[in-house]
Amino acid sequence: MNLKECFQYFASRQEDGVVITSAGVTSGTWWRTTHDMDRVFYLGASMSMISMFGAGIAMGAPKLPVWVFMGDGAFVMNPGMLMVERDLDLPNLKHFLVSNRVYNATGAVSLPNSRRNDYAAIARAVGIERVFYIDSLDALKAQFDKIVLQPGHTFTVLEIEPLAEKPGGVPIDDVESKIRFGRYIEKTAGIKIFRHPATEPIVR
Amino acid sequence: MSEQQKEATSAIIEQLAKSGIRLVASLPDDWIADLIHNVEKDDRFKHVPVNREESAIGLCSGAYFGGIPAMALMGASGLMTCVYALTKINYTYHIPMFIFTTLRGVFGDPRPHHISNGLYLTRLMDSISLPYLLVEEKKTIARIPEAFKHCQVMNRPVVVAFTEAVLRGES
Repeated sequence: MNLKECFQYFASRQEDGVVITSAGVTSGTWWRTTHDMDRVFYLGASMSMISMFGAGIAMGAPKLPVWVFMGDGAFVMNPGMLMVERDLDLPNLKHFLVSNRVYNATGAVSLPNSRRNDYAAIARAVGIERVFYIDSLDALKAQFDKIVLQPGHTFTVLEIEPLAEKPGGVPIDDVESKIRFGRYIEKTAGIKIFRHPATEPIVR
Repeated sequence: MSEQQKEATSAIIEQLAKSGIRLVASLPDDWIADLIHNVEKDDRFKHVPVNREESAIGLCSGAYFGGIPAMALMGASGLMTCVYALTKINYTYHIPMFIFTTLRGVFGDPRPHHISNGLYLTRLMDSISLPYLLVEEKKTIARIPEAFKHCQVMNRPVVVAFTEAVLRGES
């Protein structure tokens, strides 16, 4: 499956939910597909933390759909995160593993145990019940409603081809990204994130 | 658990509640196991056991965008593994992160494998300009809300580090 086409389809189905992308091709490709700076947090500065990051948002904003696109290079660093996800079982958290079997952004070097890694089986082994494996755009379109629209935590492997060219970075300042993303959640989910200290009582 | 330790644990938990903390993500070291058990059974907090300390950093950083005041609770060895996550997530994006940890490897710690924590933990925090409050006496427990507030105001991580004597209610 081609990542750009895959993301184009996701973007066409995104409503008011938020997206978290990890370092490398997921961030660069989502940016080039959507040019979105409000409904997405490009967590390019860290690998393997984005599903936990998404879980924190999903806990606080339970009606807000949270889509997490994690590269498999990030996944192999912290597969134990799935145990925490299973414990939390957040119905609005949708974890998508973008599997291209290489560290695409850093020279397309192979992952450890590259071709044998069965990510869906790993997810099932920790008890995640709604696990999907998607290797074509047609399959994605056919399964999308079941994965995304039905309530319940899901883990979905998106098997894609490595990109021939790096998509490049995302042209947004990191702190601006925080503010824009946070303001979007405040407006959409009706929760308070930013509190200016001048308006808060001093705790003694 | 001794009465002294129960009192110390209770005092710490009350200061957490006073700070407004609602989510605690933890991975134990034996000094904080009782604190974790007590957080777990206190309805004022949602407790999440994590697979590694960096996951606590990720979860609590996301919780910030979910409007949930959160804290990561871990031992000194765990904090030593979090430099990447803290400097990449919290420093880059200016996301507050409140952390409790243990002052392992100092005088009185009977475990020789904690020697590196005694030698390097505070130096490590200094080297990455990570503000910390050392809780070496019971009276300092009352400063926990102040440390949490500093974390929120400055949009940076702040660490509160406890001695074993304070956690046991002996100091």
